[in-house]
Amino acid sequence: MHTFAYARPTTLAEAVALLETHGPDARLLAGGTDLIIRLRNGTLTPVVVVDLKRIPELCLAIHEDGGRLVISATTVMTDIAANELVRRHFPALAESAAVVGSVQIRNRATLAGNVCNASPAADTAPSLLVYDATVVAEGPGGTRRILVDDFFVRSGVTTLARGELVTAIELPLPARKMGAVHVRRTRRRGHDLASVTLCCGVDDAGVTRIAYGSVGPRPVLVVDESGALADPAAPDEAKALIFERMFADASPSTRSMRASPEYRLAMLRVLGARALRTAIDRLAQG
Amino acid sequence: MSEMIQTVPIELTVNGRRRALEVAVHHTLLDVLRDDLELTGTKECCLVGECGACTVSLDGRIVDSCLVLAVEADGAQVTTVEGLAAVDGHLSPLQQAFLDKGAVQCGFCIPGQLLSAQALLAENPHPTVPEIQEGLAGNLCRCACYQQITEAVLATAEGADR
Amino acid sequence: MRTDRIGGSPNRVGGIGRVTGSQQYVADIRLQDALQVKLVTLDCAHARIISIDTSAAEQVPGVRLVMTAADLPQPVPRFGPQFSDRPILAVGETKYPGEPVAAVAAETKDAAEEAARLVKVEYEELPAIFSVAAALDPGAVLVQDSALRPNDPLAGTNVLREHRFGWADVEATKADLVVENTYSFPMVTHFAIEPHAFMAAPDGDGIAIWSSIQHPNWLQKIIAQILGLPLAKVRVFAPDPGGGFGGKQHAKLEPLVAFIALRTGRPARVILTLDETFQAVRRTSAEVRVRTGFMSDGTLVFQDVEADYLVGAYADIADRVVSKGSYPACGPYRVPAARIVSRSILSHTTPSTAFRGFGNPQVNWAVESNIDEGARALGIDRLEIRLRNLARKGEAFIPFDTPADGDWEQTVRRAAELIGWGTPLQPGRGRGVALGIKSGPTTGLSYATVRLLADGSVVVYAGTSDMGQGARTVFAQIAAEELGAPLEWITIVMGDTAVVPYDQQTSASRSTVLMGNAVLRACRDVQAKLRTMAARLHGIDEADIVVDRGVVRLPDRELPIIDVLKPGLGALGGELIGNGEMRKDAEPDHPLSGSAAFFEFNCTAIEADVDEGTGDIVLVRHVTVSDVGKALNPLQVTMQDEGAAIMGLGHTLMEHYIFDDKGRIRNLGAIDYRIPTSMDLPLELVSAIVENADGPGPYGSKGMSEGALLCVAPAVAAAVRDATGVVIRDLPLTPERVWRALRDRSKP
Repeated sequence: MHTFAYARPTTLAEAVALLETHGPDARLLAGGTDLIIRLRNGTLTPVVVVDLKRIPELCLAIHEDGGRLVISATTVMTDIAANELVRRHFPALAESAAVVGSVQIRNRATLAGNVCNASPAADTAPSLLVYDATVVAEGPGGTRRILVDDFFVRSGVTTLARGELVTAIELPLPARKMGAVHVRRTRRRGHDLASVTLCCGVDDAGVTRIAYGSVGPRPVLVVDESGALADPAAPDEAKALIFERMFADASPSTRSMRASPEYRLAMLRVLGARALRTAIDRLAQG
Repeated sequence: MSEMIQTVPIELTVNGRRRALEVAVHHTLLDVLRDDLELTGTKECCLVGECGACTVSLDGRIVDSCLVLAVEADGAQVTTVEGLAAVDGHLSPLQQAFLDKGAVQCGFCIPGQLLSAQALLAENPHPTVPEIQEGLAGNLCRCACYQQITEAVLATAEGADR
Repeated sequence: MRTDRIGGSPNRVGGIGRVTGSQQYVADIRLQDALQVKLVTLDCAHARIISIDTSAAEQVPGVRLVMTAADLPQPVPRFGPQFSDRPILAVGETKYPGEPVAAVAAETKDAAEEAARLVKVEYEELPAIFSVAAALDPGAVLVQDSALRPNDPLAGTNVLREHRFGWADVEATKADLVVENTYSFPMVTHFAIEPHAFMAAPDGDGIAIWSSIQHPNWLQKIIAQILGLPLAKVRVFAPDPGGGFGGKQHAKLEPLVAFIALRTGRPARVILTLDETFQAVRRTSAEVRVRTGFMSDGTLVFQDVEADYLVGAYADIADRVVSKGSYPACGPYRVPAARIVSRSILSHTTPSTAFRGFGNPQVNWAVESNIDEGARALGIDRLEIRLRNLARKGEAFIPFDTPADGDWEQTVRRAAELIGWGTPLQPGRGRGVALGIKSGPTTGLSYATVRLLADGSVVVYAGTSDMGQGARTVFAQIAAEELGAPLEWITIVMGDTAVVPYDQQTSASRSTVLMGNAVLRACRDVQAKLRTMAARLHGIDEADIVVDRGVVRLPDRELPIIDVLKPGLGALGGELIGNGEMRKDAEPDHPLSGSAAFFEFNCTAIEADVDEGTGDIVLVRHVTVSDVGKALNPLQVTMQDEGAAIMGLGHTLMEHYIFDDKGRIRNLGAIDYRIPTSMDLPLELVSAIVENADGPGPYGSKGMSEGALLCVAPAVAAAVRDATGVVIRDLPLTPERVWRALRDRSKP
């Protein structure tokens, strides 16, 4: 691979300064499971790589703070999937973190990195959307909180400004009971990039939230407040109609080699229906 | 005009031995283990974190060393396949089980499989078959010794009980 | 029975090096002062090279040589196992994606990579042929220059060779039912976990080559020819490959790296990336049209097979794959009339080469699927129809060829028993069964030398390549059996042409039979010398002495070998040297130049569920049974059979090259080329063997390890059809493909 300068700041301020100075010529390194691949294949040729892992403010793991669960930027998927608080309050996030690549990948890949990479197929994105997560960004102008739904623009692009980096992902502790599940379509049972990702959450007020990815330039959140989806007794045809409305904006790429647009759209409906049933069951089980 | 390569001094512990060396910043831990430290037991294959042939243990967790820059391993504890047997050459129970259960054919994936299996057993001393399959799913074997590898891990787990 | 001996499953010889990481594959071997080589390739399938500017590359510090075709002897030497068609570097045109146009040799990998990036190739992208239809189009450009094929009537086409096999008259044969379909088998790649690795170094007045090659002696011959050296001055080191599967049989970059070494006077090393291996080797893909004639009672009356195999831009061994693979296309059945027309068709794709199964999986996929369809149409049980037509042991089911050499029915019945054929199935679940044969080697020559040292320990020299199949262990077991030495007292030397006698090749599952017999004969040679020694020592007639399995039997007693050896060698010491040869000569009149030494016969049975919402196939139970003659090492046999079965699941369920519209491979690399992981196994995988000691190998063994791959695809597809009613004739059966077939089934 091309060489680069390597910086290993020990304060957040240093990191922000580097980003402000270099702009797009700087790339952040946390887990490296995406970055190193792109450095090696030459699709990224940064002037400086900024390693975030020695900044104490970014190594605060997972903790509760004022009604929110805070997942610090360098927290890896393995720890998220295993964390007691995540599994209790945000089980679909734990599920999605558990299927990112293999054990080796999960031991390095960070949630923040997954989100900043902004792949439409990012496994953690749908559950973050369903759980109304917020991205906490630090930049030259100070701290910003950005709802995840406002964070993704399209593949590889987020609303981070120059000089900003993500310091944590926050999830509001649920006010209501919710049953939720993360599902995905892959080409084999072994680890794979998903051709459809979907998270469905049903709460005890009858609101159904579905977020899906890999069927368009960015993951999408749609909400049904009618209560019809959440109602186990409602007929399938009624639910199918609501799904049609919810999935109307899905626009899978025609150029993907993982799955055709047709298959993706069909699987969106299949996964949606199955995830809904599971979410309803999980809500009932408490 | 050729690229100026930045080198950085790092210190890490590999298989219990402290090593100090200068590494190029763009060289991975895999490069440094194989080329600078001449520990060729860890193998190079896909270079995208899919096959697991380059698996090592880094600060107690298995990682694909092809996706870790050597500089990131500064100060870390690394275990490679060369560190599994005892100093006198006595094989670990896991290594012996791999041989006894026929889990080794061409052998190229085996260093990675051993590191992953060892990590799995450290975390989960009594894994079920699905847990073994999932724990080792990041290690591809084209000879497809998967069933025998699973048996070797099970045998090691049982053996540890006695 | 001692576990070291034949029929035991002693631990793999060479296993310790593999579990400690001390085993040195080619990429692990450090040569002092070696130059690192990086290849320069173009991002297209077919291009005319206009110019190559190496000046910027040469300026990179540490670069010692930037080689292009212009730097080679002119005309640029060409090589290949069947046709000398492949140039050492691309000449005038690149003919497949990834064909090297230049090579950089530098002091470090970094310098070589940087310089490779700086080589400026001006080129014109040309239309690429990457399908059978495109290749056969009358307006198609010729993949291979017709000047390379003088006196070849097909030289003006992209058909490299056409083969016609068969007997009786298919047209004149009446049938109650004719089933006719076309099937396709995808392009897949070997994906050995060890990428190909090559090194060369000047060696006195000759050259030394290190390669992950399966055929060291064949490579030696090619290098000697290209460099104009005597064989004795070409030394090939062939460390155990990290998986071969056929993809490492023949020379690829060794000639190039040899020229670089000679030009620079230094060792040169090139290790392919995984992506480069996808561009370097693959299986021959195929489109197979089958017309099968049945009588109403299920009797087969004819098979009419047209197999178009798409080979790559250079033939490698692919045309042999086509002829040898299609020749037994009728399968292990009694077929009164047959017509097989198979063609190897050139294309601007990765050169296809040998790959486990060698052309048979492609036709077997088609022929077995057709038999399934016939059975259904006739209302006959799909297992029963096969048994009805199965050749009996000793039957010349292919006229003038090796007769059926096993009790194949026994294998089929065992598989049926293990799958529970005929027992009730859960709703929505289906079963499928398929049979297949693959011919073993048609010619062969292996030499072995065995040295019985003064203390009774043994050294065996055997030129087979142990790439995981366990050849080394089997030869050690033979020596243990015959000379009574425990396995820890036996050293097997392989992989050095300066030291190890000639072995033709490691392929076609031949090594147990051919080299195994050579080793056995070498041991018997030593035994003969022991007999002479014992006769001399004890004043007995040689004819009254038997040396057998580690023991010297005199008329009145038995002695362990060491008790004859020590006194026999006397004060000067020394050793006994035995030589063995196993030869299978060519039969010039045979369509394949030789009949099969044996057949690998396999029966695979599958039970599967299909998720009709997503198209996922869940393999509930996968049974594979092979007829092996004698399992010299039962554990190794199981490992090979199960490994082949899982490999077969690859092309059945998930593996295929994906091309763009210009013939570039889109899914290069491990992220988008999917092979089975530990999580992709059938819920239950059961393997079994049939042993009747009826093989030509030592102790009645046959070759094995390809059979279990042959039948996977048709058995799985048959199970899918049984479960859902959908028929799919193209592989792989990805979830999307199955989903489409299910959706189209429901359409009016």
